[in-house]
Amino acid sequence: MKSHSDFAFFAIQRTALHTASLLVPASERADWSREWLSELWHVRQSYVRLDETIALESQGEIILFCLGAYTDALCVRELAAKSGPRRPHIHGSAAQALLWLSAIFLLCFLITSLLPGVQAEREASRFLVNPNALVISEATDRSYRPSIPSGLYLNWKYTHQRFFQDLAFYHVKRESAEAVSSSPVWWNVARSSTNLFSLLGIPLKFAVEDNSGLPSVVLSHEAWMRSYGGDPNVAGKLIRIANKNARIAGVAPATAWRLPGAPDVWLLQADTQLANELPFRTQGFLIAQLSPRGQDVMQSSEEGISAHNLEGMLIDLSGTPIVAPVEGLWNLFGFSLFLALVALPAVSSVSLGETHMTSHRPSAREGFRRFLFLAGKFVLVAGIGLFASIDIAYCCTSSFSPTAECLQLVSCFGICLAGFRWALADQRHRCPVCLRRVTNPASVGLASRTFLGWNGTEMICMSGHTLLHVPSLPTSWFGDQRWLYLDSSWEFLFADSAVY
Amino acid sequence: MAVEAKLSHTAAMILQAISAGYVYGFSIMEVTGLPSGTVYPAMRRLERDDLIRSQWEKQSIADAEQRPPRKYYKITASGRSTLEASRKRYPLLERLMPVEEARSL
Repeated sequence: MKSHSDFAFFAIQRTALHTASLLVPASERADWSREWLSELWHVRQSYVRLDETIALESQGEIILFCLGAYTDALCVRELAAKSGPRRPHIHGSAAQALLWLSAIFLLCFLITSLLPGVQAEREASRFLVNPNALVISEATDRSYRPSIPSGLYLNWKYTHQRFFQDLAFYHVKRESAEAVSSSPVWWNVARSSTNLFSLLGIPLKFAVEDNSGLPSVVLSHEAWMRSYGGDPNVAGKLIRIANKNARIAGVAPATAWRLPGAPDVWLLQADTQLANELPFRTQGFLIAQLSPRGQDVMQSSEEGISAHNLEGMLIDLSGTPIVAPVEGLWNLFGFSLFLALVALPAVSSVSLGETHMTSHRPSAREGFRRFLFLAGKFVLVAGIGLFASIDIAYCCTSSFSPTAECLQLVSCFGICLAGFRWALADQRHRCPVCLRRVTNPASVGLASRTFLGWNGTEMICMSGHTLLHVPSLPTSWFGDQRWLYLDSSWEFLFADSAVY
Repeated sequence: MAVEAKLSHTAAMILQAISAGYVYGFSIMEVTGLPSGTVYPAMRRLERDDLIRSQWEKQSIADAEQRPPRKYYKITASGRSTLEASRKRYPLLERLMPVEEARSL
């Protein structure tokens, strides 16, 4: 009797054959599939044991047999392509080159649009933190540990402040959180004053108004991606934090700077609730927005603040701005593009090999077409550089990171430089008349034997327009490649456009 | 064939196997020890060069034996002369596999 695993293996083997059959030209697919399915049946029969099952090792061998179908399918495809008529109009043509570049460009663009890290980077450059927002901590503590007691926050908040326009507070504790339909997880829950996000100047994503009376929570971007898979309808859903129901009010956008304590979720509470639930000496993080006067003082006193603590003693505090430089995808792209263009002459000759052996000159129309083709290649290469570098930078991270920005800069520079170099080299081997690549290289003469004679490589345009001479040993009288325009006496060689 | 094809050792082995009566892909795999990814593509090329010819087994025979019909391969006249040339080139070719009774197509 056949087991479940037998059926599963059989399904895998048939799927492998069906997938491989897609590589076979449609006209031969039915016959090809019939042969392989028949062979699979016989192969399986040869491995069947007395109890009508197939051993696990044998299943592996049968799968290996099926994998050979891919090689066979590719072979059939190759043979069909060789036996069919060639298409000289597309092969090696300018359109083919542009199509390939466009396909790569679209693929890179598609990957970019699917990467969550790219979305996070865009948000980080869009949702910038209020530049006047500071994290206030004890001057001696630069490690971003919670150092301000909640009582001190309440004391300061409700007394007149000269330097601060507004204050917010949060205390982070590891607590259980549980979405209604999922198992509990341990999160860094920040009990925070309700004005935290308005003070930071960051609008919430998917924010909803809630009149149910339940406490509101804000998910961090990372927690939203991790636990809700980036669900845009998450706002308004119920969640249990420390065994109490709360409603998700929105999601904090991805930012370049994470608040200290790395909270996964913020439980927004009024100051009275904070005063009731947190002992006065519970230490947390204090976020302050500088008043215009405070900004002047901070600039002159190098971020030093003195204030009275709960005991009335004078303590030194420091304020660290919550800002991080975000270059943005386009700025990085522009800079690396500029660098690549500047570096291009160092890695490749920018000459397009326009020297001619005869007095014949290409028409202005042909020259313009040639220029447009080169410009098109440059634009597509730059586009590929933009999206491929973003893909490289953000393929392994789902949030903003300065490392990813660095990686984007370097990879974009490398891709653009290599791409531009290729575009120029490709252009030099394109017939000035039809823009197809010259082919059939023939080596003429040996530099070591014909020192004063012609030696080099000759390539011909398959449409019969031109012959390209490339010297193997550049000399003062023949240093650059030259084009020879073929006259009508050559036409008999190219009578059949389908023959190479 | 105007010019006799020079076969690689693998292709000659497969041609020899077909000539010896191993007339379908899996039996050739078994006798030569080559993987499916080598045997089937090689047979396609041999068939393209008219060295072998394929033919589907009659449905009635397969039905009688309650199995799907197989595609059998048979060496052609030009295949035979190419194999002769390959045997001179690879003298040990004939000793590599036992001769099996050819199945009727």
